[in-house]
Amino acid sequence: MQNFTKYLKAKSNIEEPDFQQLIKKVSFKSIEKGEILLRSGEVCKHSFFVENGLLRSYTVDGAGKEHIIQFGSENWIVSDRSSAFFNEPSDLFIDAIEDTQVVLISSDFINEASELSSSFRNYNQIALQNHIRHQQKRINLLLSASAERRYMNFIKLYPDLTLRVPQWMIASYLGITPESLSRVRKELAHKNFKPN
Amino acid sequence: MKTKNIEIVVAPREPHYVGDGFRVHNFIPSGYRLDMERMDPFILLDYNSPFYFPPTDRPRGVSVHPHRGFETVTIAYQGKVAHHDSSGNSGVIGVGDVQWMTAASGILHKEYHEEQFSKEGGYFQMVQLWVNLPAKYKMSAPKYQGITNSQINKYPLEDGMGVVEVIAGNYGNVTGAASTFSPVNMFNARLEEGGKAGFDFPATYNTALLVVAGEIHVNGTQTVAENHFVLFENEGEHFSVEATKKAIVLILSGEPLNEPIAAQGPFVMNTREEISQAIRDYNLGKFGYLEE
Repeated sequence: MQNFTKYLKAKSNIEEPDFQQLIKKVSFKSIEKGEILLRSGEVCKHSFFVENGLLRSYTVDGAGKEHIIQFGSENWIVSDRSSAFFNEPSDLFIDAIEDTQVVLISSDFINEASELSSSFRNYNQIALQNHIRHQQKRINLLLSASAERRYMNFIKLYPDLTLRVPQWMIASYLGITPESLSRVRKELAHKNFKPN
Repeated sequence: MKTKNIEIVVAPREPHYVGDGFRVHNFIPSGYRLDMERMDPFILLDYNSPFYFPPTDRPRGVSVHPHRGFETVTIAYQGKVAHHDSSGNSGVIGVGDVQWMTAASGILHKEYHEEQFSKEGGYFQMVQLWVNLPAKYKMSAPKYQGITNSQINKYPLEDGMGVVEVIAGNYGNVTGAASTFSPVNMFNARLEEGGKAGFDFPATYNTALLVVAGEIHVNGTQTVAENHFVLFENEGEHFSVEATKKAIVLILSGEPLNEPIAAQGPFVMNTREEISQAIRDYNLGKFGYLEE
């Protein structure tokens, strides 16, 4: 749990003895590519911190088509925060795109860390606000932006995922067809490729 | 001349798939003591040991992906691979052929089982190597050397006991077919049972072999089985290989570049910043475009 320990230490000012007690409250899980951590209809009990590997959250529509909401690579947290907070069934699936090691963070852990550390409480607040900001931007992009702008935004947010994720998943995340994504990439190559 | 002894014999690891067409044992860099720094300039070796692929109408392989900073060398022992890249090169690598692709500043390519081979199905056996480029050539123009078996010069062993195919470097008075950016020797020793060949490389060169078929004795005593990889010590210059069963042995020896290595996925550069730049350039289409 090297990454998680580093992450938690950076976000909190918890004294070492308390830290050692607190860290016992998270658990660690290795899952294989394709394994599911959350199914639609279940209540999301954890946030999943990615130690290494790659997760995605997605919905499945009535026709069985997947719509990717979020990717989470190393040091990202994937969860359904509202399901966890309101104790409601989630609309989301969360599964692994690569063999992945995750740290399971419960709300108990978050509550206790917030009590022990004001900086963690503060961090958790900022993380929530960040999450809202990100969601708002994403809604706006999906409603109003061109395929190219969505792609440009994606490569800024997730620079190395174009190497780790199949095209159709990126297209699904962007809310465009794989053909549109190909067209965008082709046009970019046309604009930027200079043979040497 | 001092004998070059074996440092370690490495058994093949559990195979994994690259795309759906290459079922490979990775030796470099994930094998025990076979990391990129130790094996420099050989930074990856995947070995598809003989594996039967049933007939299919949809060729198996690896879809479009980029490379920057090194060369890929594909050596076909069984089966055929069709290749296309963003520089407009394409070709088929057949049994005994070698494809030496210099990705350098950046290329997109895809590799699939050749159409007819896919339709008929059959045994598939290949080596793919990545050879690192010296820093000053990492951003040079990509190029492509498609080398058919007939273009590979062969050194005949005495009494018709086999040949040494010189893919790159020099063996005896025979010069390799491929041009390289740093001193690299790459041979296929095809030995009849009892066939013997000696090899001399500078002690400082990183030197290894892979028993692609058969079984051999190294330096007269040590038995090495099929699919096993041998790393030699960086001491001594000479070793000998004798086939105890009819054998094919891939021999590798290269002068280490001794430059920093920063590697991520399909990019191998000298610094993290160059890796980030490679990712940005790839995302922005600066590697060109290739249809899936």
